[in-house]
Amino acid sequence: METKKLFFILIAIMFALCSPAGVFASDTLMMATTTSTDNTGLLDYLAPHFEKDTGIKLKWTATGTGKALKLGETCDVDVLLVHAPPAEKKYIEKGFGKARREVMYNDFVIIGPKNDPAAVKGQSIQDALKTIKDKQSAFISRGDDSGTNKKEKLLWKNAGMQLPDKEEWYVQTGQGMLSTINVAQERGGYTMTDRGTYIKYQSQKGGDAPLIVLVDGDAVLLNQYSVLTLSDKNCAKAQHELAIKFSDWMAGENAQNLIKDFRLLGKRLFIPNAK
Amino acid sequence: MDDIVAGIVKAFELLFSGDESTWTAVLATVKVSTCSMLLSIGAGLPCGFLLGYYEFRGKQHLRTVLDTMLALPTVFIGLVVFAFISNQGPLGDFKLLFSLTGIAIGQTILAFPIVTAITATTIEAVDPLFKLTLVSLGAGKRNIIATCLWEVRYGILAGAVTAYGRVLTEVGISMMVGGNIKWHTRTVTTAIALETGKGEFANGIALGIILITLAFAVNLSLSLLRRQ
Amino acid sequence: MTAVYQLKNIRHFYNDRKVLNIDDLTIEKGSITGLVGPNGSGKSTLLKLLIFAERPSLGEIYFRGKIELPFSKAIRSKVTLLTQKPYLLKRTVYDNIAYGLNIRKDKNDVIRRIKTALSKVGLDFERFAPRKWHELSGGEAQRVAMAARLVLEPDVLLLDEPVASVDMESAKLIRNATLKACEEWGTTLVIASHDLQWLFSISDTQIFIFNGKIFPTGVENIITGPFETHNGNQFIKKLSDGQFLVLPEGGKGKTAALIKKKNISIDQDKKQLNNGFNQCEGTITSMFFEKKKERISANIGLNDLSFTLNFSPDQISRLDLQPGKKIILTFKIDHMEWM
Repeated sequence: METKKLFFILIAIMFALCSPAGVFASDTLMMATTTSTDNTGLLDYLAPHFEKDTGIKLKWTATGTGKALKLGETCDVDVLLVHAPPAEKKYIEKGFGKARREVMYNDFVIIGPKNDPAAVKGQSIQDALKTIKDKQSAFISRGDDSGTNKKEKLLWKNAGMQLPDKEEWYVQTGQGMLSTINVAQERGGYTMTDRGTYIKYQSQKGGDAPLIVLVDGDAVLLNQYSVLTLSDKNCAKAQHELAIKFSDWMAGENAQNLIKDFRLLGKRLFIPNAK
Repeated sequence: MDDIVAGIVKAFELLFSGDESTWTAVLATVKVSTCSMLLSIGAGLPCGFLLGYYEFRGKQHLRTVLDTMLALPTVFIGLVVFAFISNQGPLGDFKLLFSLTGIAIGQTILAFPIVTAITATTIEAVDPLFKLTLVSLGAGKRNIIATCLWEVRYGILAGAVTAYGRVLTEVGISMMVGGNIKWHTRTVTTAIALETGKGEFANGIALGIILITLAFAVNLSLSLLRRQ
Repeated sequence: MTAVYQLKNIRHFYNDRKVLNIDDLTIEKGSITGLVGPNGSGKSTLLKLLIFAERPSLGEIYFRGKIELPFSKAIRSKVTLLTQKPYLLKRTVYDNIAYGLNIRKDKNDVIRRIKTALSKVGLDFERFAPRKWHELSGGEAQRVAMAARLVLEPDVLLLDEPVASVDMESAKLIRNATLKACEEWGTTLVIASHDLQWLFSISDTQIFIFNGKIFPTGVENIITGPFETHNGNQFIKKLSDGQFLVLPEGGKGKTAALIKKKNISIDQDKKQLNNGFNQCEGTITSMFFEKKKERISANIGLNDLSFTLNFSPDQISRLDLQPGKKIILTFKIDHMEWM
């Protein structure tokens, strides 16, 4: 008899837990973004300010730019914060996106082991990639069609080479930026990363990281982040008004200052550049 | 090694300092796994009973399909559920993507075959004398079914514990369908994936320890129930 | 006397195998019927039909004059069966016995009735009621199962080898409780048992079952194979001491033959006979008194075969029969039937 009672109590508790958990406030903006904005902690830093200024709650799912764009295409999110300008422009042409607003940038760098086995330090990005290929040094790629990955593929093309897709020294992790950096560290190889994530990585290693920046400063390495609003034709139900508010806010003075002040190890991770 | 020690220390810190984001993830995990267990038991128990109790044509084929479903990978379930509940999917109007309900649906699909298969096996293993005895005591069809389920309660409990273990620890569905949204659909497992992605291994290990603690608490309470 | 059961033209199959073949069988109200036959002969199957756990493949079973089917109201909790091995629900002894009452929603004085039922099988309520199903010995479990049937005060109590696998003490208690039910409530009893002595001492009628067929005249004598062909169409059964029995034609592919006890005669010495007879020597192995019929049953061993014959007390003293004594059995070959 006792056992039976306990069973029913258990089931009652389970039902109680299962009841719908508070419907989300209507003023909630759903955003798809890239791992770099999330992993560096930028969004955790910005979201409370955004809510305070506009009363809108920001929710985001962090994935590669490829999937983020796809989520916009299927209208599963309201707004995008991504960094792959050519893909973004094509996206608007195809009628999925409405407006694109550049809000900040950082830059991509090639990092590698301190001893620099392929000796690429100080080379131009084109020369560095060629050298890595000639010396068959390990190169770790995201391989996930993210913004960073798209950029990297473009750079191989610019350097006049086919993507070394099946080469043994070319490793595609299919994971996020920090995981990929960690793979590069374990394998003693090179990789391309955005500077923000690299600084985050450095801070985790207490400022003395096994991988260091070897190639940077090239104009082609600029990493532009943009807010992308969705086409109201394609996504009639998306919350366009809130998305525009977010876009305006990100480009506004307050957010731009906040981005400027966001630092790790005293270093700035993103540089605001809204026009 | 440093990460492991730091992880253990961190786990206690997170739990006992009442770290809000940790507790939200724990609550989301408990909520969503409880909900999916309830649904999968609700559906799996009758199905398992029918499969175990009655003889019918094609039963063996059905068992084979069910046994295959036991091996469904979570990312695949996640992908299929995603395709269904995405705005452009057939169930897009229900707004289930990036919600705990969406994760619960996926996890129900994960747990349902386990509950069903174990229930069916347990029912099949009931002594053939059972039915004869109940008929002898004047039981009707409904009495027999109800008593039969009560007789095999420990077997079903074992099935539920197995299914709960799977549901509690899966990451594919939660990540794919839930989107790992902070304060909303971030579960302990997706949080571990995130911390790993961020390179915060100690945090990841801490969350792993919390997850194991959770599983232990569930199993302990069930085993206490059993000893009653 | 009125009939509790009437079975008409019953044919019962498991897959394609015919396991029961009963043209007509009547069981009277308040009677005690013994069910005798070797293992696998169909005793348990017949009991399953009588408890309406299974529906016969063909034919009808009348219960108190009406055709009844499994789960019909008229039979539920009026007819009950005790199996050789008890199945107890995974609950306490108390809940096991209360189960049948709960189903009937019978809430009247439950504790006292359970107490009475337990005492009938010699179990103390205080000690046993709270025990779990796994805290009982085999004999105790069988007695609890019996109490769970007795508490229902059944109209019909079917027993399938009730004491075959329990200790002597439990067997005695179960037997006494069985008879008491019959006396107290007029319960109709059908008992399948290998314990012929007990069965013969209490039953009004014995039904012999072999290969699914019933012989209402009681235990009959079975001659089992292997057989060898003899003189073309006949068959013989060789006994290990060199004697042999001749069997009639038509035994191709058969595994057993039957000779009814009324067709067997007994003598002290061998006689000169013609070819149509079997004559063989056997030893009386046991004898017991059938109280209700005032006659004596004797088991006679013929090497590996065993025959059962009935005698009046007069015959016993005239022939000076006693266990260990050698006697001559004579029967006509044509009286033997192939099974």
